[in-house]
Amino acid sequence: MLHKSLIASLLGLALVGCGQQDQTAKVTGALTDGVLLPAYNSWQEADRQLAERAAAFCAGNADLPAARQAFLGAMSAWSALQPLMLGPLAEGNRAWQVQFWPDKKNLVQRQVEALLKSKPQLTQADLASASVVVQGLTASEYVLFDADIDLTQEEQKARYCPLLQAIGQHQQALAADIVAQWQADKSGMAAQLKQFPNERYADSKEAVAELLRVQVSGIDGLKKKLGAPLGRQTKGIPQPYQAESWRSSASLANLGSALASAELLWHGNNKDGLQSLLGSDQAELAQRIDAAYLDTRQRLAAFDLPLTELLASEAGRKQLNELYDSLNRLHRLQESELAKALGVQIGFNAHDGD
Amino acid sequence: MQRRTFLGLSAAAASLAAAGAFGGWTLFGPSGQPLLLSARDDADGKHYAVGYRLDGQRAFATAVNERCHDVVPHPTLPLALFVGRRPSTESYLIDTRDGRLLQTLSSPSGRHFNGHAVFHQGGDWLYTTENDTTEPGRGVLGVYRLDAERLQRDGEHGTHGVGPHQLLWMPDGETLVVANGGIRTEAESRVDMNLDAMQASLVLMQRDGSLVSQEYLADQRNSIRHLAVARDGTVVSGQQYMGDMHDAVPLLAIKRPGQPYQPFALGEAQRTAMNQYTASVAIHDELRLLAMTAPRGNRFFIWDLDSAEVRLDVPLPDCAGVGAVADGFVVTSGQGRCRLYDCRGARIVTNALQLPAGLWDNHLRLA
Repeated sequence: MLHKSLIASLLGLALVGCGQQDQTAKVTGALTDGVLLPAYNSWQEADRQLAERAAAFCAGNADLPAARQAFLGAMSAWSALQPLMLGPLAEGNRAWQVQFWPDKKNLVQRQVEALLKSKPQLTQADLASASVVVQGLTASEYVLFDADIDLTQEEQKARYCPLLQAIGQHQQALAADIVAQWQADKSGMAAQLKQFPNERYADSKEAVAELLRVQVSGIDGLKKKLGAPLGRQTKGIPQPYQAESWRSSASLANLGSALASAELLWHGNNKDGLQSLLGSDQAELAQRIDAAYLDTRQRLAAFDLPLTELLASEAGRKQLNELYDSLNRLHRLQESELAKALGVQIGFNAHDGD
Repeated sequence: MQRRTFLGLSAAAASLAAAGAFGGWTLFGPSGQPLLLSARDDADGKHYAVGYRLDGQRAFATAVNERCHDVVPHPTLPLALFVGRRPSTESYLIDTRDGRLLQTLSSPSGRHFNGHAVFHQGGDWLYTTENDTTEPGRGVLGVYRLDAERLQRDGEHGTHGVGPHQLLWMPDGETLVVANGGIRTEAESRVDMNLDAMQASLVLMQRDGSLVSQEYLADQRNSIRHLAVARDGTVVSGQQYMGDMHDAVPLLAIKRPGQPYQPFALGEAQRTAMNQYTASVAIHDELRLLAMTAPRGNRFFIWDLDSAEVRLDVPLPDCAGVGAVADGFVVTSGQGRCRLYDCRGARIVTNALQLPAGLWDNHLRLA
């Protein structure tokens, strides 16, 4: 009988915090429809094009630049999900199937070559049972952009095309599966961000807390993606091959996509984002966060060289370090001050376990 | 039963104030409802030893110097030791009726606590896992005697391994099972020093220090850390894997009575959801269920202990402690609200508890 009594006492308590919960549920609902679902749908569409373009390229109906363009589109759409990484894609290591980063030992090259040697006629089923290292965009990028691979040569094209097509199909299927889990009627991720309580969230406050947490950890991830090639963990010695997307020179573009969706979560599509949960007495904090986004965005827009080239010059490294510091300020503002203002616990056991 | 149902219904109709007034005795009675004991922080990062009734009524919250990990209730007296989290040199003996700090127990020089301890069934002896910092990593079983509400160091034995973490009693109440995590750390540090040469082991030993058995898992970097023991002597361990994120290693293992220690039959979907890290394990003896928290994967699981069938696999952010209650399991979280999972029916029912949300440390005990 324990549980019945407990539910009963909960019912009485639940009546109280209703007004505040309504406002919070409004924000999670608005962000779901205005930011999250559109971003996941764009990713699915980009992966559909990735698969379609790989097939066309391999059939001789599209050229290499077109295939590369589809890869860059998929990479950009995936990057935009970094601060929105909650629900099905955040669970069960699925993100590793999309991108293998950091790849400190160049596992992508080694495993792709080993796989193609053992299975020259690779199928999608073969890929599905292979290591995550070769299933995703990082392997695709290796094939499309690596300096040692020339896909304009028929022999090489014939060698790598089965993998390129299988990755396209794998990514397309994965994205379709994830989006279906978002859209499922009652138990779908979108529904769980709108109707409370549900199996995932006891109330809307838990949902908004998770949105802020994934946004903060997404921005933290951007710091890592910039900090690793800058050598911030390696005594300042730049590590260009530790960068994400170094082969396709898309590192900074990826960062821009991710930053844009983090900012969208903050503002909302219609001034109904996390920002709208701050009271008028917290307007000063909101202004500082706005200013921090603007600063990071402007610094990023000012670069006209790819990351690997910037790393090669002292002036470039200085600029990149300033971008890192700007990201760091943005991260700290949201992680500490915004989290406190919204009453959200960012990390505890998961970050410092035992 | 009828009385409780009636009171439950009247509470539903009542206002917050009335529901609160019911809290003390009406809903559960003074002894009917277990006391949830745990280490917890506040939003400013201060550390507390806390006790709450499951309806949210706070029994105590005592500020302590160091962050604690597990809690060890005394078998008969209203006392509990809140054990310092590694590499703490302090643990706190608390009166669970009012939260009074009876003693700050310090580890001897050259030793620090590893977050876990057990009281012997007779109530006079306490055993802790400790690290010998003069020979870093060497596992030590600290022996303390309880006398007039004070614990005194009485001696120690080796745990037959490196970096011991949780320890529990086997059903005889005399044999200890110890998870030697295999990770060497040094004084005042949590940094691992030997990831290339780890050797975790599951040890059964007598409380005089003599070794009964020692078993290993196949993967050297798979640290055995947390334990649950069923009434029939089944031991379950939860692991933390120190290798790569995409390696496939067993994160739960089991030693059924009379059988060797071996991986628990874990579905691939569950294994990958754990992000190579498990926190607390608990067994429900009456329902023969096994529960586990995976805070890095933000996932909580329940299995049938005998068939290994998955009964529950749900998201729960930063889920931390788990403990068995009459109806199922209570779970705390470092980030969200605490849950009661009612496991009596074919379908497990989730209820959010009216306890403070977030900042609960990795373990809970129900006294």
